[in-house]
Amino acid sequence: MAASLTGLLKPWTPRVLLVRWSRYNPYYLEPEPRKEVYHIPETELTPEQKEERELKSVRPIKAATNSVTSSVFNDPVLSKFVNMMMKDGDKIIAKGIITQTLENMKRKQVEKYHKAPEGKKAEIECNPYAIFHQALENCKPVIGLASIQKGGKFYQVPIPLTDNRRRFLAMKWMITECRDNKHRRTLMYEKLSQELLAAFSKEGNVVKRKHELHKMAESNRAYAHYRWW
Amino acid sequence: FLHYSLSIALPPLSYLVAQVRPLHGSGCGQQQEAVGMEMRPETFSIFRTQENDPDCQSEQHQGQYYTVPPSHFHTVFPHGLPPRYQQQVKTFNEGCVMVRQPALELISHLKRADYSKPTLRYLLYGVKGSGKTMSLCHTVHYCSTQGWLVLHIPDAHLWVKNCKELLPSSYHASRFDQPIQASNWLRNFRTTNENFLSKIKLRQRYVWTKRESTEEGQPLGELVDMGVSRVKSSSDVVGAVLKELRLQAGGTEGGFRLAVAVDGVNGLWGRTTLKKEDKSPVAPEELTLVHNLRKMINNDWCGGAVIATLSQTGSLYAPSSAYLPQELLGEEGFDSMDPFIPVPVSLYSEKEFESCYLYYLDRHWLQHPHSQTEEGKKELIFLSNRNPSVLERLCAFL
Repeated sequence: MAASLTGLLKPWTPRVLLVRWSRYNPYYLEPEPRKEVYHIPETELTPEQKEERELKSVRPIKAATNSVTSSVFNDPVLSKFVNMMMKDGDKIIAKGIITQTLENMKRKQVEKYHKAPEGKKAEIECNPYAIFHQALENCKPVIGLASIQKGGKFYQVPIPLTDNRRRFLAMKWMITECRDNKHRRTLMYEKLSQELLAAFSKEGNVVKRKHELHKMAESNRAYAHYRWW
Repeated sequence: FLHYSLSIALPPLSYLVAQVRPLHGSGCGQQQEAVGMEMRPETFSIFRTQENDPDCQSEQHQGQYYTVPPSHFHTVFPHGLPPRYQQQVKTFNEGCVMVRQPALELISHLKRADYSKPTLRYLLYGVKGSGKTMSLCHTVHYCSTQGWLVLHIPDAHLWVKNCKELLPSSYHASRFDQPIQASNWLRNFRTTNENFLSKIKLRQRYVWTKRESTEEGQPLGELVDMGVSRVKSSSDVVGAVLKELRLQAGGTEGGFRLAVAVDGVNGLWGRTTLKKEDKSPVAPEELTLVHNLRKMINNDWCGGAVIATLSQTGSLYAPSSAYLPQELLGEEGFDSMDPFIPVPVSLYSEKEFESCYLYYLDRHWLQHPHSQTEEGKKELIFLSNRNPSVLERLCAFL
């Protein structure tokens, strides 16, 4: 440990630094992007926070990646979705598609809102972020299937899924659905906004796929005891 | 002592807006909003004004939004508005324009100009997205409500690029016609100025082919209809229309005032991206439409005004940081436009930004929960630098 530590803390740093690698030396600390932390005045710091600040003044800190912002509009779920949609590292295009999608959804909903009679206005959800999160919730499967080998044959066994896996499956299905099942001339943001609005009201192909997975898991209930974890 | 007296002399804003102001004979203060798409209760709001007539708007209304009556929308603006603004009108179910200082300045010049002298040329310039086209549209709305004949060219750059059909002109050997663009423009011109088409009579006989001609004394409407139906000669029809209007604008009998509103006027000088059949570039003066429009912009006629906007967005071979008249018009353009009255269009002031922010909140456009807080507002100011179009694009997905 001493060798790797002192190796990186030389007074002369080489031209090519390990900035973007995730394999940083554990000596490096994480950056703190949130603004509130820096606005606490000196007097109100707890002893732990004071200690942490002193540590940060002597230790080197990792470089922050591009996706980290101190903006109030930062949404981790949305960032994950953008990363999943990205192809060949082109985040600008992926982020552009997502912003166009949000705008499109908001436009449709706000138009409906302004044309609706007074009684129906409260039911129309205009916030594209709320629609996105709710749609993703509606697409998340509760139970998944795993292929387990027993006695030479493979059985589809129902297993519980972690939160991360569920979120990943929902996003993956949404993106593949929008890439595959659209007309050649429909743009991605248009199709994505249609799918998200449909998923928000629990219709559409993605929630159908979730229901089919649930049905498969239900039908394979008998093999549940093949799971050993 | 002076400061003290000034401070008590200013009444609160609410009092000013709610007051009936019988300054003009037309009774501007008593006008009610047209019962259009929505009946709004007459509550006071800091960002809206009930004064929907551009004639009666003054500095006190600066920063406030006025509603263009829905009946006017399709007649006055069939083609002049920016595309994102058109989408916004469709979404919000109403068309609201902010009253800003450049437009007010232009309108006050138009009110006080002498129309027996040669035409004054006004040029709106500013950085990208600062609101030049919207100020132009505001002025066009004013001219329309005052009964002027409005010649609105939505974007002069559309005539110097992306033209699929270039026909050699029948009238002049070395010029080129653009039938699609000309007929589209004539169709929109017909929608804008319906009432003038029957009143203006032609003063000259125009021969189109061996069998077709338009006689003297016929109404202008016939000429325009002919241009729309006979697409091949539509560019020449445009030239004829412009010539007739130029001759008759300052006339004492049955005289009308002519407003020539050109967006992206720097496209008329400079270069085009069009090519002849032998792949040599086409100069703008070799296009019939551009040639005739340049004659219109000259100040050798009287009885109207020329209001122009510079635009870098659609321009060809111009750097993206250029926004001043000298840079965008070039030498030739500047010499033709000189002398002109420059009207700078700046970014939103703090009051205008507040107004815009409150308008978006009112229309339920800012939906992100954080965008409705102070922190979010500060972030919006930082990210957009109070640039109107950048702010609009930011608020679109927030």
